[in-house]
Amino acid sequence: MDIKNEKVGDFVVVRIDGRIDTTNYTEFEKIIAEVIDGGEKNLVLDCKNLNYISSSGLRVFLITQKRLMGAGGKLHLCTMQPSIKEIFDISGFSTIFKIYDSEAEALSN
Amino acid sequence: MEIKHKHLSVENKIEELPALTAMLEQLADEWDLNPGLAMNLNLVIEEAITNVVFYAYDDKLPHLIDIDFELDGNELVIVISDDGTPFDPTKKTDPDISLSVDDRQVGGLGIFLIRKIMDKVSYRRENKKNILTLVKTL
Repeated sequence: MDIKNEKVGDFVVVRIDGRIDTTNYTEFEKIIAEVIDGGEKNLVLDCKNLNYISSSGLRVFLITQKRLMGAGGKLHLCTMQPSIKEIFDISGFSTIFKIYDSEAEALSN
Repeated sequence: MEIKHKHLSVENKIEELPALTAMLEQLADEWDLNPGLAMNLNLVIEEAITNVVFYAYDDKLPHLIDIDFELDGNELVIVISDDGTPFDPTKKTDPDISLSVDDRQVGGLGIFLIRKIMDKVSYRRENKKNILTLVKTL
């Protein structure tokens, strides 16, 4: 897993590359927490290169959504691969996250 | 058609997962499984193994978890066995996935994903082992 952050307008875009599983989800959780602790309330998680996620990773997505909603912020996901979208659908996560087809849409909503 | 078999085993520690992923990638290649299916199988096996690693043992000793694959025509059977404390994942209540963000519980998704992805999940306790059988029709 490789993560890169970029500030774009009101959002911080977090680009996830690789796998989020039981071996590295705490690292992912820490990076997201640092962004939010730094005062950012609006996040876009770019999932274009996220090619595997297990329940450990899904847990971090849910915790982040709870936290940002509580803070009046936004969490937008974008450019998700079909196989990952399927896991979100199965988990009921597609209805609790805003998932956009493009990064531009995620940033303009 | 020839019935294919493969046996893998991993130690009960999370650090084994990357090696397990590599073994599963190799198996998917050998058996010509499509990438979407291979990813889902990796997920199902990670969830099952993670549960065993975290909850099955309290003795801090190394244990081997066995994973046996059988592909007979279009039926794939995966049998995961461990010598940990008795645990029947088929008895676990599913999370309510219709709840709003606020009410949604964090966790409890692992076994749910196994049950949703596979077509049949069954458990038995035999010779002091937990034996979880997962079936997927390809």
